[in-house]
Amino acid sequence: MDMIQNVLYGFQVALQPLNLIYCFFGVLIGTLVGVLPGLGPAAAIALLLPSTFKATPVSAIIMLAGIYYGAMYGGSTTSILVNIPGEAASVVTCLDGHQMALRGRAGPALGIAAFGSFIAGTFAVIALTLVGPFLSGIALRFGPPEFFALMIVGIMVLTFLSSGSMLKALMMAAVGLILGGVGMDSISGRYRFTFNIQVLLDGVGLVPAVMGLFGISEVLENLETEIKREILTEKVKNLLPSLKDWAESIWPILRGTVLGFFMGIIPGGGAIISSFASYAIEKKVSKHPEEFGKGAIAGVAGPEAANNAAAGGSFIPLLTLGIPANAVMAIFLGALMIHGLQPGPLLMSRAPDLFWGTIVSMYIGNGMLLVLNLPLIPLWVMVLRVPYYILYPLILLFCLIGSYSIGNNTGDVLIMLTFGILGYLMRKFRYDGAPLVLALVLGGELESSFRQSLISPSSSPVPLLLGF
Amino acid sequence: MGKADRISGIFWLVFAVFIGVQSYRLGLGTLHKPGPGFLFFWTGIILAIMSLIVLLRAWSGKKTEEPGISIFGTQNTRKILFVLISLFLYARFMETIGFIPVTLLLFVFLLGIIEKKKWFYTIFVSVVVTVAAYLIFETWLKSQLPKGLLDFLRF
Repeated sequence: MDMIQNVLYGFQVALQPLNLIYCFFGVLIGTLVGVLPGLGPAAAIALLLPSTFKATPVSAIIMLAGIYYGAMYGGSTTSILVNIPGEAASVVTCLDGHQMALRGRAGPALGIAAFGSFIAGTFAVIALTLVGPFLSGIALRFGPPEFFALMIVGIMVLTFLSSGSMLKALMMAAVGLILGGVGMDSISGRYRFTFNIQVLLDGVGLVPAVMGLFGISEVLENLETEIKREILTEKVKNLLPSLKDWAESIWPILRGTVLGFFMGIIPGGGAIISSFASYAIEKKVSKHPEEFGKGAIAGVAGPEAANNAAAGGSFIPLLTLGIPANAVMAIFLGALMIHGLQPGPLLMSRAPDLFWGTIVSMYIGNGMLLVLNLPLIPLWVMVLRVPYYILYPLILLFCLIGSYSIGNNTGDVLIMLTFGILGYLMRKFRYDGAPLVLALVLGGELESSFRQSLISPSSSPVPLLLGF
Repeated sequence: MGKADRISGIFWLVFAVFIGVQSYRLGLGTLHKPGPGFLFFWTGIILAIMSLIVLLRAWSGKKTEEPGISIFGTQNTRKILFVLISLFLYARFMETIGFIPVTLLLFVFLLGIIEKKKWFYTIFVSVVVTVAAYLIFETWLKSQLPKGLLDFLRF
């Protein structure tokens, strides 16, 4: 059967020693990033993009993917132990996870989070294997108007579901689109919005923009307040959840997995929302809803499974249709393009090693994470003790070096810093950065689909408008 | 959010108008043969309308769904400003002075002056970080960081 052949091929690719190493580093760094508050997976992936330039596209994507779902695992560790979410998708885990820790049940909380994430992650990858080719087949029949409509829908949903004002999110999408137009117009050959500024001639690079918007601005925001961290000092022991814990968690895990997966596929859905939704659902269906907020293990198991499933699911629109489902996937899209690949339905046939190799590496990565997370917890606790005044200069240095090494010129560094200021101001004035990034990445594709749709004599603007 | 939204509303409005004008100059073309400015002109118009709405909402004092926040705190704003200035200076002098000196200076500034740590600690950490960063990025990853003043040393 075709499917089995593809999966075996994927294993062939993913099990190459070099790719295994990249996968390992990816999940390790991802977990580290997830553990550290103040650095999210989007920033980490953006920061590490330049270091993947020397690698092959397959190795690069394997590592970056590892960072993403690794961060989902890592985030739960800080949530449970310190009551500070490592990233946004782990906020919900703080609610019951930390309560469990306060009652001396940190071990089972961490354990069930890890196991739940593993089950969810594996399910997501299996589903990806089954659903992926099917979707690619459909998408092959899309033409420019359909793509344009699909991209608009993606941006719309992201806007609709973004935090804060929808109007402002839409504005950010418009700004991102405009920024995407800076540089040379490929159809007419003319320079747009460059005003003779040297650094803008090549356009606004995705990497410096994202590093600035998510990395630098996050640091600047964190500098405003002193983050006080009280870390649970007693030894965390007994990481294996009891049978009773399993009995209470298995259904939340399964429900969270399915919920998270589907929410991950929809553009704009994603890990954050699915974790909140899972918590709400578990509380509704629970026989003891009053326990939620006091250390109900279902309140940890469900959301943790949901956010990992969503992370896996969000790869689907990207790998099959070339549409990013959230800000992190938008960066992935950029990464694929930087490596010279054209995402879209043809990705599967043009780069089967990338497609299947990445999917299979996600199986392997999930396994690595399960093994890594439980024994390495004391290490993560040590990491958490590093004071922020050491961390933030390191993060800043990383950003500076990273943006410089893209093209060995300081122009990119300046772009990044400018976006850092913009990102900081956006946070203060309550504008969401994700729609901007999505529109920036899709901008090029969006414009060419748009113009092709209009130019082609057989079409009228009607299909375009139907997209609205 | 009233005052803040007034400021941001005006900002984006001006930006949108500016983009609209630039796009128009680039050439709009026709509906069936769109020019380089076509999409951006209309995007600019839509952005302008949206910023007007934000502005009007702020002016009329209508309650939006977001909680109000104080835009700028007091002394931490200075901290942020100084950090930003140091980063821009880093970018500006990276290639002239070279990676190693400029990184050392950055860390000494951030740890010693901004965070006010003890000098021995500051210098120690700065040296360790600079050396480590050099080894990781230059020696291992071969990033080709600028050599600047230390070019003659030929590492």
